[in-house]
Amino acid sequence: MKISETDVEYVAKLANLEVPETEKKELAEQLSRIVEHVEQLNTLDVSTVPPTYQVVTGWKHAVREDRAVARTGSSEAGKSVKLFKVPKVITER
Amino acid sequence: MNLKNLTADKLVLLYANRDLSVSEVISSVFDEIDRSDGKIHAFITLCRDRALEEARRTDSRIAAGEPLHALTGVPVAIKDNMAVRDVTTTCGSKMLENYIPPYTATAVERLRSAGAIIVGKTNMDEFAMGSSTENSGFFVTRNPHNLERVPGGSSGGSAASVAAGMSLVALGSDTGGSIRQPASFCGVVGLKPTYGRVSRYGLVAYASSLDQIGPFTKSVRECAQVLETISGFDHYDSTSADTPVDSYLKCLDQPLNDVRIGIPREYFASINGGVDPDVKANLESAIKRYEGMGCKIEEIGLPHTEHAVATYYLIATAEASSNLARYDGVRYGLREGGAGGLNEMYRRTRMAGFGKEVKRRILLGTYALSAGYYDAFYLKALKVRTLILQDFQKAFEKVNVILTPTTPTAAFKIGEKIADPLSMYLSDIFTITCNLAGLPGISVPCGKDSANLPIGMQLIANHFQEALLLQVAHQFEKAGGFGNVSVGM
Repeated sequence: MKISETDVEYVAKLANLEVPETEKKELAEQLSRIVEHVEQLNTLDVSTVPPTYQVVTGWKHAVREDRAVARTGSSEAGKSVKLFKVPKVITER
Repeated sequence: MNLKNLTADKLVLLYANRDLSVSEVISSVFDEIDRSDGKIHAFITLCRDRALEEARRTDSRIAAGEPLHALTGVPVAIKDNMAVRDVTTTCGSKMLENYIPPYTATAVERLRSAGAIIVGKTNMDEFAMGSSTENSGFFVTRNPHNLERVPGGSSGGSAASVAAGMSLVALGSDTGGSIRQPASFCGVVGLKPTYGRVSRYGLVAYASSLDQIGPFTKSVRECAQVLETISGFDHYDSTSADTPVDSYLKCLDQPLNDVRIGIPREYFASINGGVDPDVKANLESAIKRYEGMGCKIEEIGLPHTEHAVATYYLIATAEASSNLARYDGVRYGLREGGAGGLNEMYRRTRMAGFGKEVKRRILLGTYALSAGYYDAFYLKALKVRTLILQDFQKAFEKVNVILTPTTPTAAFKIGEKIADPLSMYLSDIFTITCNLAGLPGISVPCGKDSANLPIGMQLIANHFQEALLLQVAHQFEKAGGFGNVSVGM
């Protein structure tokens, strides 16, 4: 399957990425080659095979008691006031 | 002092006998770094002052008669995707160029508790995405055996630092071969543990169902020591296994009678261009050596190997696209200013902070997860992953260990594959299956090719069979199987 420059734009938007005009053509070509390679999986019949999300080996249910543990944050935090100082993210229109 | 011929176990004995001081050794490590790293570029950050201070403190503890730990005063290098408190952790990316973590990764903390001293943080492909360390956001690392060649990747800086005597031990991470492939290219030992054996707490996530931390060393004995030190359950990592850690050192010297070694025919056949004749010849003599040691050699089949690269690049990129969504200019590192609003700030930051390969993988992963393609790509890859795992389960009913080349060729030239991402991906064909199946794998040197470049042999065992893996590798080393792989710079 060919990936077009429009596909690249669409996926970039989903991924919160900005792709410069100059890179779109090259990316579309590279992604097309990779997608053509991965399409070899279509030769396999996996209709009855269950998916493996993770290879689970010897785990126990990972729940522990919720206890507060003393942990300092970044260098700014916790010194004078017990707050993290973060940059402003909301701007006026 | 030449660290290229010194191993960690011997070094600790020299300290115990007061033949050497920790300060002398750590100073000479930095002398070696000053001499060689201008050519090799293995390190992103050096921890000179901190390491020398720790060395002085260790010396006074030894002088006061305190007992030595397994890795007391051993100089270690840490791949720059593992958090070390108060030390910049860049992950090889402009995105995290100035990120200083407020905590230390569990594996690193365990090394330090055993007495190891961190000399620096090593270069890597950005976010561990690559097979050559050419995708670093900062500079290219060169192979100490030949400066025109890549050291492999993504843990190329860690492998090069051990090969060049700039550290005795290093930690790397392996998502599709990122420890074993650079170990092979640099002529050192590299091990990827069973998924869950080593805590991933403090490791910057690339593909969470595949990532594992593991050691680089010159000898199998050191590898066993480091693995024993860093392994075990960690309540900070919900995927770390609550399975007892074997005493890997105790198993090393047991003879190999009755060990059955499987040779997968697919790994020597012509998948994706086949194996280089020099690699094949060295592997064949390694197999003969094992036969001479009383092992039974059996041909086995791993029929889904040819689909491993396709499966991996769908699963790994899908997980990466999700993991890397957190780099948005708010929570971590870089923020591009001048944007008109929040969404534009996200996009601008991500465009400026990520390199080409990272963007390519995020796009591929987002595509594989997007509406209409999820079943056709991502879900299908997860099902083929099951088939690959079943291949191994069947094989381990017949044999104890599987022997393969680590890579189809020795180290390739810098620039050779960088313009063609797919050809770079295909060079990981032999290492990727271990990650998909969660199995432990080790790469050890097994001679050199006609261009005098190291060749690696990979051994794979069943889940949590690291003791057997190390024993089989150690017996090979003891029988002279590594050949002369030291760097002659």
